[in-house]
Amino acid sequence: MSMRYRRSWMLAATAATGAMVLAGCAGGGNEDTINIAVANHPWTDAVLANVEEFEAETGLNVEVTSYTEDQLSQQLNVRLNANADDIDVMMVRPLQEIRTFDRNGWLADLTEQATSDEEWDWADFQEGPQESVTLDDRVLGVPLATEREVLYYRTDLLEAAGLDVPQTLEELETAAQTIQDQNPDVYGFVSRGARAAAVTQFSSFLYSYGADWVAEDGSSGIGTPEAREAYTFYGDMLRNYGPPGVTNMSWPEAMGIFTQGRAAFYTEADSLYTNATDPSNSTVSDVVGFAQFPEGPAGSRPTNVPSWALAVPASSNNQDSAWEFIRWATNQENTIVAQENGVIGARASAWETEMPDIPADLAAAQRTSAEVGVGYSHPVVLNVSRARDIVGDPIVTAIEGGDVDAALDSADRAFTEFLASENE
Amino acid sequence: MTTRSLESRGFVGLRAVLLIVFGLICLAPIVWMVLASFKTNIDIYDPSSTFSFTPTLQNYSAVFAQADFLQFFINSLIIGVGSTGLALLIGVPAAFSMQRFGMAKSSGLVLLSRVIPHVTLLVPWYFIFASLQMVGGYSSLVISHMFISVPLIVWVMIGVFEGVPEELEEAARVDGLTHIGAFRRIVIPLVVPGIATSAILSFIFSWNNFVFALVLSGNSTRTLPVAIFNFIGYASIDWGALMAACVSITAPMIVMALLGQKYVVAGMTAGAVKG
Repeated sequence: MSMRYRRSWMLAATAATGAMVLAGCAGGGNEDTINIAVANHPWTDAVLANVEEFEAETGLNVEVTSYTEDQLSQQLNVRLNANADDIDVMMVRPLQEIRTFDRNGWLADLTEQATSDEEWDWADFQEGPQESVTLDDRVLGVPLATEREVLYYRTDLLEAAGLDVPQTLEELETAAQTIQDQNPDVYGFVSRGARAAAVTQFSSFLYSYGADWVAEDGSSGIGTPEAREAYTFYGDMLRNYGPPGVTNMSWPEAMGIFTQGRAAFYTEADSLYTNATDPSNSTVSDVVGFAQFPEGPAGSRPTNVPSWALAVPASSNNQDSAWEFIRWATNQENTIVAQENGVIGARASAWETEMPDIPADLAAAQRTSAEVGVGYSHPVVLNVSRARDIVGDPIVTAIEGGDVDAALDSADRAFTEFLASENE
Repeated sequence: MTTRSLESRGFVGLRAVLLIVFGLICLAPIVWMVLASFKTNIDIYDPSSTFSFTPTLQNYSAVFAQADFLQFFINSLIIGVGSTGLALLIGVPAAFSMQRFGMAKSSGLVLLSRVIPHVTLLVPWYFIFASLQMVGGYSSLVISHMFISVPLIVWVMIGVFEGVPEELEEAARVDGLTHIGAFRRIVIPLVVPGIATSAILSFIFSWNNFVFALVLSGNSTRTLPVAIFNFIGYASIDWGALMAACVSITAPMIVMALLGQKYVVAGMTAGAVKG
């Protein structure tokens, strides 16, 4: 009796172990297969829809795994840290990740492939995006999407108030005030107010006031009089004309206010425009207008940043095929395919193509922004999220109507210390 | 005195009010989620149509039109059942030995795995599973979930076994059963409610787990919590479909919890009033 029971327990345990080992044997690397880790992004949907073309041309097999932005980043950090060989091509954010990844030795050097291929033409890529993926003359990625901060506005409200599209930040403030006074249900202005999320959209205000994150001597630039004015202006705008609770808002919340028809002006990345123009998401889809970021004391200096690039992990065993894929995904044709789907690429040649689906005023704003824009939307450092928290703190103080000068003094000190520690 | 004051009308009324308030606080997000799953994206953002809106099923059809949704469901089920089953196989006998043979130190050690923040395990696990070629298979997910569910089961079951008098086993052994025989034939039937409790808790953990599945799953073994993020894009969030997916994922758990409630409550209090 007892023996039988003991045996049945052991049998069960053995069976369980066996099943686990067997199941574990699935998967594994294969030279004809390229594994690609991408973000859920309109680029992914547009370009990878045609991936069969590439597979037929090369005989390679493409395995795509798609994640949200944060998941992808977490995923890459774990996998690359463990020297994974199951990613051959990955989507990375040039300004946030290229430096850190390179410092950890995770990125393959693509210089030779990129610069020697005349047909594919590396020189066609705009200078700003090129620089964002190049460290010490080494090309570490290929930019595939860029974005700029533009002004979203309500054409109907402007018309009713008899106002023109604001050309300067001063005019923006007056217009926001006028419209808010005339329409009790409408806030004059909305933008991101949450600490770290606000930094990328506050950037254009900072630059247009003639300031920058980092001064020429490498110390913090946010203590200058120009920066103080920019912080104060942004805070005043959102406190006086913005919705309540704005300090908790990133883009989904701010966009929600705008698409519900409850704000007249909204400064945001152009890559999000379909949220406002798609009738299934937006109640203002037919009355939304776009314009270049208004001029500050130093002119109009919106952000114009490379948001995504493709890179190859140093640990991939399939680097040649990986490059073949990148070469295909970022060629002129596919850049235009992406652009037709609203993803503005980094190739100069693609800018000359007419894009019927992009609203004409948006296309014009994108073109002029690219000419005067600044190539980064937050401090370009290794630990970007820490930096965003430091420089984002005074934004919140300004919105809440606190002591902006004191907040900037302490943030300025903290940021200088942070920069010094980064350079060690 | 005490009993009378606990039964007084004022106390009953107060208790009812507190329960209702607490219930509403717990239910509000779930109600919002269910309502939102029947709204268009425009209505979701509009506070004036919180309760008055034209319901739509388009979100659910968007979720189930995703070819893989059923596959994700099956994956979650396989991993949940697999890890819970294996964890019970190991955890229940382990808890019994620890309780009966006074292995207090081992039980403390087991608890350690619940104290460690799970994120810290990701890199070493990924490294180990990758070198064993196990990333992307069910086994790595089952094993990683067992790491959490075995200690859970052990700790619930130690309490349960405390409530089972040792005399019963002794009697069984006098009648000729071995330790294991007595365990199987006498003790186990007595602790079924405890086993059900720990199984349900362990299954819910596995069903909801996100971080392990994010890193260790492959395209074909992705689980539901990872899959719902498909509705969040870089420049767009499909709130309606996201909420519909959440309802579809939560509903089986709520049904299971309601069906198993009788056992869970019995199991939770088992041994608690001993002595």
